[in-house]
Amino acid sequence: MAQHVVTMLPGEGTGPEICEAVRLVIDASGVDIKWEYEEIGLGCLEKYGTLLPDKTIKNIAKNKVALKGPTTTPIGTGHKSANVTLRKVFDLFANVRPAKLIPVLKRPWDTIDIINFRENTEDSYAAIEHMVSDEVAQCLKVITWPGSYRIADFAFQWARANGRKKVYCVHKANIMKMTDGLFLDAFREAAKKYPEIEIGDVIVDNCCMQLVRNPAQFDCLVLPNLYGDILTDLCAGLVGGLGFAPGANIGDNCSIFEAVHGSAPKYAGMKKVNPSAVLVSGIMMLRWLKETAAADRIEKAMFAVLHERKHVTYDVGGTATTDEYAQAIVDHMHAKA
Amino acid sequence: MATTFSEAARATRKKKEIKLVGVDMYIVTERGIPTFPDGEFGPFTCEFISNRGTKVWPGFVSPDLMMVNWYRCRFMSTRDVTDADVDAFLAVLTKKGWWWSAAQKLWTHDGEAAYSKAY
Repeated sequence: MAQHVVTMLPGEGTGPEICEAVRLVIDASGVDIKWEYEEIGLGCLEKYGTLLPDKTIKNIAKNKVALKGPTTTPIGTGHKSANVTLRKVFDLFANVRPAKLIPVLKRPWDTIDIINFRENTEDSYAAIEHMVSDEVAQCLKVITWPGSYRIADFAFQWARANGRKKVYCVHKANIMKMTDGLFLDAFREAAKKYPEIEIGDVIVDNCCMQLVRNPAQFDCLVLPNLYGDILTDLCAGLVGGLGFAPGANIGDNCSIFEAVHGSAPKYAGMKKVNPSAVLVSGIMMLRWLKETAAADRIEKAMFAVLHERKHVTYDVGGTATTDEYAQAIVDHMHAKA
Repeated sequence: MATTFSEAARATRKKKEIKLVGVDMYIVTERGIPTFPDGEFGPFTCEFISNRGTKVWPGFVSPDLMMVNWYRCRFMSTRDVTDADVDAFLAVLTKKGWWWSAAQKLWTHDGEAAYSKAY
């Protein structure tokens, strides 16, 4: 069995305790991973003067795959987000956010199985903002042809590889005819290589309404950065909240898997938070590493523990600690082995 | 006395002391990351260049980074400057063959930068 070397970024707040629980589960799944720990986030500011030290960047560049816990983004200060910086440095252009209904978490819908492909590097996240007068601010929305084409191409390839049937483009090209129009044109151009896949497009506001009314109609969605940021959280809400929402940031050479929720600093050290979002991100990482059997084992054990409801965390009605929930998943895997 | 919501809104506006400190130039080129030697652009020197919002000069450029043919080049002034200095600067850039799509003056508002930095 091949050994994988993975950079572990525990992050801050509840991140370290979550990542330890997730490591416990992944190591028990039978996969051979050598973890190399690196630092990221506010804690690095005092030590290194940056949220993302060079040492961390170099380690990710070497290993090409990382699992990341939550970090805190300062609001309205001069510090750039560590998450956005990571995406920029490694050009992690594809933010893949599955939203799949977890069977034991009751929701009003029978089935939701959507994969969102959010363009991760452009749009109004290009950090080009100016005060153009003392009462007017502007932010440039940057959409490029290659940036739009490659996220669509990536989504179609993913869809083909995973047997998905429909890929839809989400946009507001009726109003933003240049920027969103370019995104939509590039999507249609990329689609020509995948004639077996049904394509379509939907205006972002209508998409929000349709997601709430009838989410089962959607399969794969391709979105520019800002709409993707918003709609992926909407989709997470449909299937149980950010506590179960995995995420992957994928580039041509590096991939970083992470939960999309915050670091919940007020709960740090209390070992009460649900580590499932990082765990399902870890499951995505294992599938990316072709460790499908280990990924399936963890997923089945997690669903079983959630179904039993004996060892679940407070957010899903239980009293278990982070560690007890993780250990229950490990015990379930061992019992089935 | 403000009588409408619009008038009331504008009445809350805070006047600020505005000072010109530089120019962001948006340059289109197929020749890779532009270079602007110090001393060739009067009172302006290039502080950084970004592509799609990511800094590509000076310093480390990730080999993973996809770049397009449109660069934001930030020029900061080395002394107090006027709009006439910017006009002269634009003329020099054009004369040197740089094709630019837009220029955005950079100001401080009450001493604080009224513009973002690149990632």
